[in-house]
Amino acid sequence: MRTIKIQKILFYIVLIVGTIVFLGPFIFSVVVSFSDNKNLINEPGQIVRSGWTLKNYAYIWKDLPFSKWLFNSVIITFFQTVANVFFSALAGFAFAKLEFRGKNLIFGSMMASLMIPGIILIIPKFMLINGLRMINSYPGLILPGMVTVVNIFLMKQFFETMPKDLEKAALIDGCNYFQMFWKVFIPNSKPAIAAVAIYTFQSSWNEFLWPLIATNTGEMFTLPVGMASLRYELITDWPAIMAGTFLISIPTLLIFVIFQRYFVQGIASTGGKE
Amino acid sequence: MLPGIYMNDAISVRIKINMKRNSSTKKEQQFWAYTFLFFPLMLLTIFVFIPILFSFVISFFDWELMASHQKFAGLNNYIEIFGDKIFYKALVNTVFYTIGVVPIQTLLALFLAFVMNQKIRGRAFFRTAFYIPAVTSSVVTSIIFVAIYSKEGLLNSLLGNLGIQPNDWLTNPKTVLISIMMLNIWTTSGYFMVSFLAGLQNIPASLYEAARLEGATQSQQFWHITVPMVRPVTYFVVVMSLIGCFQVFDQVFVMSEGGPNNASTTMAYYVYQNGFKYFRLGYGAAAAILLAGIIMIVTVIQKKYFPPYPY
Amino acid sequence: MVKSTLKYIFLISFLALIISCIRDKAKTIRFSSWQSNPSEKRLTDSLLHCFAKKYPEYKVKFELIPGNYSEKIQLMLGTHSAPQVFYVKDFVAPSYLRYDVLQPLNEYIDRDTSFDKNDFYPQFLNAFTKNGKIYGIPKDFGCYVLFYNIDMFKAAGLSEPPKDWTELEEFSKKLTKDINGDGKTDQYGIVVEPSIDKLMPFVFQNMGSFQDKDANLTLNTPEFQGALEYYYGLYSKKIATIPTDVSMNNIEEVFGRKRAAMVISGGWFVPQLKDQYKDVNYKVAFLPKGKQMATIAFTVSYSSPKENPLKEESWKLLSYLTGKEGMTVWTSTGIAMPTRKSVASGLDYINHPEYKIFMGSVDFAKVFQVDYNERWFSIAQSAMQAIFYERADIPQKLKQMENDIKSLRLKK
Repeated sequence: MRTIKIQKILFYIVLIVGTIVFLGPFIFSVVVSFSDNKNLINEPGQIVRSGWTLKNYAYIWKDLPFSKWLFNSVIITFFQTVANVFFSALAGFAFAKLEFRGKNLIFGSMMASLMIPGIILIIPKFMLINGLRMINSYPGLILPGMVTVVNIFLMKQFFETMPKDLEKAALIDGCNYFQMFWKVFIPNSKPAIAAVAIYTFQSSWNEFLWPLIATNTGEMFTLPVGMASLRYELITDWPAIMAGTFLISIPTLLIFVIFQRYFVQGIASTGGKE
Repeated sequence: MLPGIYMNDAISVRIKINMKRNSSTKKEQQFWAYTFLFFPLMLLTIFVFIPILFSFVISFFDWELMASHQKFAGLNNYIEIFGDKIFYKALVNTVFYTIGVVPIQTLLALFLAFVMNQKIRGRAFFRTAFYIPAVTSSVVTSIIFVAIYSKEGLLNSLLGNLGIQPNDWLTNPKTVLISIMMLNIWTTSGYFMVSFLAGLQNIPASLYEAARLEGATQSQQFWHITVPMVRPVTYFVVVMSLIGCFQVFDQVFVMSEGGPNNASTTMAYYVYQNGFKYFRLGYGAAAAILLAGIIMIVTVIQKKYFPPYPY
Repeated sequence: MVKSTLKYIFLISFLALIISCIRDKAKTIRFSSWQSNPSEKRLTDSLLHCFAKKYPEYKVKFELIPGNYSEKIQLMLGTHSAPQVFYVKDFVAPSYLRYDVLQPLNEYIDRDTSFDKNDFYPQFLNAFTKNGKIYGIPKDFGCYVLFYNIDMFKAAGLSEPPKDWTELEEFSKKLTKDINGDGKTDQYGIVVEPSIDKLMPFVFQNMGSFQDKDANLTLNTPEFQGALEYYYGLYSKKIATIPTDVSMNNIEEVFGRKRAAMVISGGWFVPQLKDQYKDVNYKVAFLPKGKQMATIAFTVSYSSPKENPLKEESWKLLSYLTGKEGMTVWTSTGIAMPTRKSVASGLDYINHPEYKIFMGSVDFAKVFQVDYNERWFSIAQSAMQAIFYERADIPQKLKQMENDIKSLRLKK
């Protein structure tokens, strides 16, 4: 019994140390973002003593194009999330519930494309978007991320678990397949849709490489690209940088805390398969 | 979910009607399937399938961004890459990075999941806390760690309390890559921990009970039940973190720009650098193809020698 | 209810996407530059203000490009999104000219009688000229000169700046001191930098160059090696320091914080000295003579892209900025030197105690332009760093650097 108790205490120690390690840097950055002194980033004690201020947030908001970057990020994330949910549901439904010629070939080549590392796409995608004269524009930023194979796969897996009766009932009620999809399947697949939406939101919001390549004026930057561009410029103004990083993180943190359940489900359902 | 289970008169009638419609539904299904797939497939074709093929074409040209005519280069880009010292440096850095990060990260994630799977209070809180780095933008975490690693930063002052000399972690060629690796482990361990946690929860509790009855210790339980039972999840985690490590870019870009003196240039950064700093798109595409080839070979080898299911 | 709302959200989203595709095509001249300091920002603002007053019918939108400027401009030129007027550094000009992405300006220059291209110092205009076509008008120039701390010189019993390499070494030795007697050097003779552009003046002074007549890079010649050995020698003899050795970011800071008595820098350092390091009592001088007098000059042009719907409008702005009036405004604070002779004499820089050194350097200054892929520079830079940080063998490193650059097909 004693050993079990000691083990329990050890577990708690591990978890608490882990929490300090995993959350510490965030707490540190938030504290710095309220600091009144530009130079203090070394000793936590000093930061607390130096006095609190909101001026770093005011500076980020007023003197930097932060609001423009926020707008861009919101637009891109919104369209990509809506499009991903819709398209992956459509395609997932087709693969799960419909029979058609070439199904295996199409699905197979989609899954095969997952095997190919994304880095190979960067240069040709850039040239393609450039050929369409869409570099540094919203379409150029949004279009390539409107549909992802992983999301289609997730939706397909989900639809496959739904009972066959559902379609049959819908067919007998005289629905065509789109009505069936829209009126019967979509309302019954909230967890999967939520998972796809949250994933897309998170990855669009945090996406760095593509907007880095596909934008070239400060006006079109997204938040991560904008913040990265400040990394060398504001090197002496850590509180301002930290204020920016904290602001960027708020939406993902909120969404994560609220919809945690779906995150975990999503990971479990992609992780368990193979 | 066999239809038979639910079979009653009403349904059997419906099915009969359905059977009559069968031939027409096949065509109908086909029509709707293609309609549904039209936009998703078009986008995938334009932004995934065509670029994959196109990158091979580009790699045979001296493709330069501003030039109006592109010169055919044959295999010159590939030949040049094999003589490029920075390519080898990037390759070595990437392999070092992967070998350093993947095992530590996997073990740490498994260990944390194991601890978290015990009967403990506040599990949801800890899980959230550990997972937060994984949902945060890589640019944000990188910037925070630039501050932590800087010469006057938190790490040096913490180490200073232990009497260790300060080090400029990100501009010292000896420590820059390891510093970025630490950040990577910190970021993604929580993510993979959740994967493991899901796997752990699928292990029947009776197994542990039986083990306990036979007097197995916690660590025996861990190595003889937990580890083999989560093998499929481990496979997934290792594949995902291999692919992630091989392509690490954001952190390198923000924290060190590949420097100092290419000490932290990874393969992905090398591709980016040649494509978008030196504007040699053909050369960059060739490098990307080689990188992709290496990743695919490694995953195939892994699948062969470490399959998700041992039987 | 939910379904119909979803539908509407969807429809509206797509409409908005389509609308956002339609680009704003108002007749606005986009103008881009970098800004290395606040005074440059103030100058740009006032210059654009003057232009707006004089030509109220033109609308100019200023777009600052932070970070790696030349890279970004090159990317914009390649992606059809370049601004209508922008800075071009002399260093990257050759590749822009070869790709033929800039607008030749001869036609406009010839038509504009007030412009007077003969007013420019020819070597700066030539930096942006190919086959007789002018692709950019140099807005200003800067060059490396020697800044020296008068107080330190006095304390060491020196009254004049060093005139040649022997004196530079001799003076540096005298100026290197352990002031507080703790056994560590507190004050160095000169602060140097493991950087190829800081080395180039010495190469020219040693009768070397960076390229031969066929535009091949020549970084492994006896002249180059001699210059590097001398330059590195200052450091290895411990009469020079580098910024990282004294935990600072750049050589200017080392000089400003009085850890070195001399530094090689340009006119851009002057405002910084006046704002940040007011207590530094300094003077400028010509770079010491090697086998000949030489320095490196940097010039920047205003150019327009070939792909430009607003050619006439762009020329109006461009010719104003580089005209006598615009250039006088721009160079009036001395952060950069005028490229027009008339402006230089109008502002009386030729007799100014400080600026005359910059203006006088024009006679022997070389413009630093190489038509190689930018990568050669980072290879050369890491060779320099290896020599300074890892004490790599100089002849061997130079040979290796030459081979690396050759094996990589970087020549265009």
